[in-house]
Amino acid sequence: MIKIRDLEKIYRTEEVETVALNKISIDVKEGEFVAIMGPSGCGKSTLLNILGLLDDPDNGSFLFNNIEVANFNERKRADLRKHNIGFVFQSFNLIDELTVFENVELPLIYTGVKSGDRKKRVEEVLDKMQIMHRRNHYPQQLSGGQQQRVAVARAVVNNPKLILADEPTGNLDSSNGNEVMTLLTDLNEQGTTIIMVTHSEHDARYSHRIIRMLDGQTVLENIMV
Amino acid sequence: MIKHYIKIAFRNLAQQKVLSGINIFGLSVGIACFSLFLLYAVHECSYDRFHINAGRIYRIVEWWQGGKREPGGYPWAYTPVAPAMKRDFPDVEYAVRLKGSDCFVKADNKVFHTSITYADTAFFHVFTFPLVYGNTQTALQQPNQVVITKEKALQYFGTANVVGKTVELKTDTAFELFTISGVAEDIPANSSVKFNLLGSFEHITNDAMVQQSNSNWYMTIGMQAYVLLKPGSRLASEPNRLDLFRRKYYPDDYKPKNNPSKEEEVQASFRLQPIRDIHMNPTIEGGNDPKHIWLLITLAGAVLLIACINFTTLAIGRSAGRAKEIGVRKVMGSQRKQLISQFLAESFLLSVFSAVTGLLLASLLLPLFNQLADRELSFSLSRFPELVWLLIGLTILVGLLAGSYPALVLSSFKPIEVLKKKLHVGGSNLFTRSLVTLQFVLSIGLIISTIIMLQQLAFMRMKNIGLNKENLVMINTGHIDKKIYPLYKQAVQHNAGISGVTASEMGLGEGEGQMGAGFRDYKGDLQGVIEYPGDYNYLNTMGMTLIAGRNFNPAISSDTTDAVVVNEALVQTLLGTTPEKAIGTQLVNAKGNQGTKTIIGVTRNFNFEDLSQKVRPQLFYRPAALQPSRIFVRLQAGEPGSKLALLSNTWKKLVPDAPFEYSFVDEKFDNFYKNETRWSSIAGWAGGISIFLACLGLFGLAALAAVNRTKEIGIRKVLGATVIQVAGLLSKDFVKLITAALLIATPLAWYFMHNWLQSYAWRINIAWWVFALTGGFAILVAVTTVSVQAIKAAMANPVKALRNE
Repeated sequence: MIKIRDLEKIYRTEEVETVALNKISIDVKEGEFVAIMGPSGCGKSTLLNILGLLDDPDNGSFLFNNIEVANFNERKRADLRKHNIGFVFQSFNLIDELTVFENVELPLIYTGVKSGDRKKRVEEVLDKMQIMHRRNHYPQQLSGGQQQRVAVARAVVNNPKLILADEPTGNLDSSNGNEVMTLLTDLNEQGTTIIMVTHSEHDARYSHRIIRMLDGQTVLENIMV
Repeated sequence: MIKHYIKIAFRNLAQQKVLSGINIFGLSVGIACFSLFLLYAVHECSYDRFHINAGRIYRIVEWWQGGKREPGGYPWAYTPVAPAMKRDFPDVEYAVRLKGSDCFVKADNKVFHTSITYADTAFFHVFTFPLVYGNTQTALQQPNQVVITKEKALQYFGTANVVGKTVELKTDTAFELFTISGVAEDIPANSSVKFNLLGSFEHITNDAMVQQSNSNWYMTIGMQAYVLLKPGSRLASEPNRLDLFRRKYYPDDYKPKNNPSKEEEVQASFRLQPIRDIHMNPTIEGGNDPKHIWLLITLAGAVLLIACINFTTLAIGRSAGRAKEIGVRKVMGSQRKQLISQFLAESFLLSVFSAVTGLLLASLLLPLFNQLADRELSFSLSRFPELVWLLIGLTILVGLLAGSYPALVLSSFKPIEVLKKKLHVGGSNLFTRSLVTLQFVLSIGLIISTIIMLQQLAFMRMKNIGLNKENLVMINTGHIDKKIYPLYKQAVQHNAGISGVTASEMGLGEGEGQMGAGFRDYKGDLQGVIEYPGDYNYLNTMGMTLIAGRNFNPAISSDTTDAVVVNEALVQTLLGTTPEKAIGTQLVNAKGNQGTKTIIGVTRNFNFEDLSQKVRPQLFYRPAALQPSRIFVRLQAGEPGSKLALLSNTWKKLVPDAPFEYSFVDEKFDNFYKNETRWSSIAGWAGGISIFLACLGLFGLAALAAVNRTKEIGIRKVLGATVIQVAGLLSKDFVKLITAALLIATPLAWYFMHNWLQSYAWRINIAWWVFALTGGFAILVAVTTVSVQAIKAAMANPVKALRNE
């Protein structure tokens, strides 16, 4: 599904040049659950952003479903993103002005799903995430765990092929964290590819494979048994 | 999608109550101002369009060009021209002459002073003035018929249906009986042709003056003439045909001249001016200059721009708070154009709200505006259907103007930067600062201009114009038996509180007209001289200062035949000598003859016109048979009530069949400055509203600055900063902007107002303190506004701020 080769990302300021990704090459197959680990500043979030088409690489190749996307413009990236990728963030990133229902509905609006279908699909996914009873609440009225469940619901409502999760349990207590990881595992078992950045060895154990990074390069790969 | 945008827009409005309030209020005020000024402009441009045949009605004007004069036209038609055009041009369907005159009306035993317009019978074929009662076909057929407006019918009889009733009219020396043949709907405010009473032209055909003018093709008697051209006629755009017509009736004008002088090179021609062009064409006498409308629209535009800038700066200032939303939307797949649409939807929604509120506000302010603009405007969509489109256009324009920049900026955020909190946006970017500066440049400029206008106005009102205009009452004695004046004078002058009574054949002040004659100066050139025929004691009663020679003396018989008192300007312009040497000099009339006017005295110049004009040559004389049209009574200072009662009661005893009409001369002179008064009021209001709106925006920006700098404020307080230091930190940036605005506005305002003052012969010097005062005021208001927010932020608990971070 994902094939990147010799990917480079360099951040430049007037005085300093920081290599965030240094000719990194990774393959992720469809249906895999991959965890990316490493110390702060090793480039894992940069990698995730490039994989999510939120950022573009300076060099290298990025094939998504065998299509070269490294040089896609903003419009094409947005188009590919909204149909194929779901995101889960550490800080949830729900829109405060929208209710739970509306937050989850948002990706469907941008993919042009009709109103009746949207309602059905949002209700289905809220039900699945067990937050249907909170559908008319605003994010700030929910607990951290509930907010992350809404974020996961939003990430999956479009049935994406890939979910990118950036430290999804980073802001949660262990109980809520476990719940979220279970949700992700369930999704993976239903066929969704998941790439997750985490600092937590515990969370990483939910994955099939752990890619460890240091200074913008992969240093080790662990296959989970 | 649209539904989603609108829903979000509503939520944002509701959530940010203060900012939404500032935006809606500001834009409403801006839209209210703009709508009122727009209504004024639409009204001015709508003049005379209500006539069914408006496209075919033309006024006959005489156009002059060549020589030293500016090309221009006069609407005063020679009496025989309109009938001749009807005779000579088959294109002319109807021709109608209008001759106005003031008159006394006796109705139901009461006497009123009004005006009557005599018109040819074709009047109702040409113009659209519907009759409420009566028949337009027969209303002007008899010489003693009169059509009256509904307003006058109600005033005179208390009822509108007065067809068949009689009134007595006095336009000369005696009352005559007229039968009311029709009652017309009140004349629309946007009509160039107006009447109170409409009589048949036939009634005045035997009048000596009309008869004389009928045979003298060069004599004008204040008449206007209109033609209705047949459909498809191009006569108005065929100068050759009009030129042939002129040659036919004015052959002398086209005879070759020997050594023509500059003045003789002037060429006159007839033109047909479309009726819809009359009100707004300044090249024909009486037409208005459209630049005033543009000035009004510019002022309104400035106010609206300030309100739109508030929206823009506040939206940009709030962008930090919305960055996450934008980032998430982009991650979810929103494209930039979708975000632009979303932000524009918000600004349009706000614009619609503001337009509705603004129009309500405008309706409430309309009476005040009418007073200010001296108009009777109403938001009538049936009369001004174009208002619908203009107001819709205005709403869209405001939405675009206010929302475009924030939409472009906000939609350009990169999601990755937003979500990593790397983005630094807020109220302090260069564009926002420039906009705030622009707001204050406009506000400060308007306030400086207002102060200078008010200073010039006060100067003109207070200036010693060369006569004592205070406590001077002027009584209208037109159409009154001339024997009344000595009787009235006798009855009034010795009473307590009255210090003098005199009379003149000319009035004083605005709207009183002038009479004059041409005299040769010492170089032989022709110069116009304004004449004031008055009683012996005219100069004394007026408080004019004699600087050489003597005043008129009833004991000297030649004083009523050839003696004149002249002003300094005449001595200087015509004689080129000193006042002392001028005494005894005989003036040379236009034909080059001496001996009819001998100077016996010279007065100081007095400004008989407004102060934009230099004092022109002027002479006073005592005619042997004085026929006063105005009596002047000098009151002693103090409460005028009882003295006016005396004047009125005496009048009623002596002239029971004419109303006692008086005015105070100082007010008549003040009326010269109606335009200046109006414009200074309008500029003052615009300036006040501008600075208020600009401060409103500043208030919002300061609030946002405090929010955006919460962490900084917290850290500074933890490190020991005092409330005043923190408040100063936030205020400092804004004070810099206002100072920059003052520096930009000062030379601009000076330049414009210096140019404006050049149009006055007597004017003030622009003082430096006007700029200092305005600048100080703007900074004070701005600092007060910002300080409210700054102190609030400075007094907040720093721990809370840092915990949030």
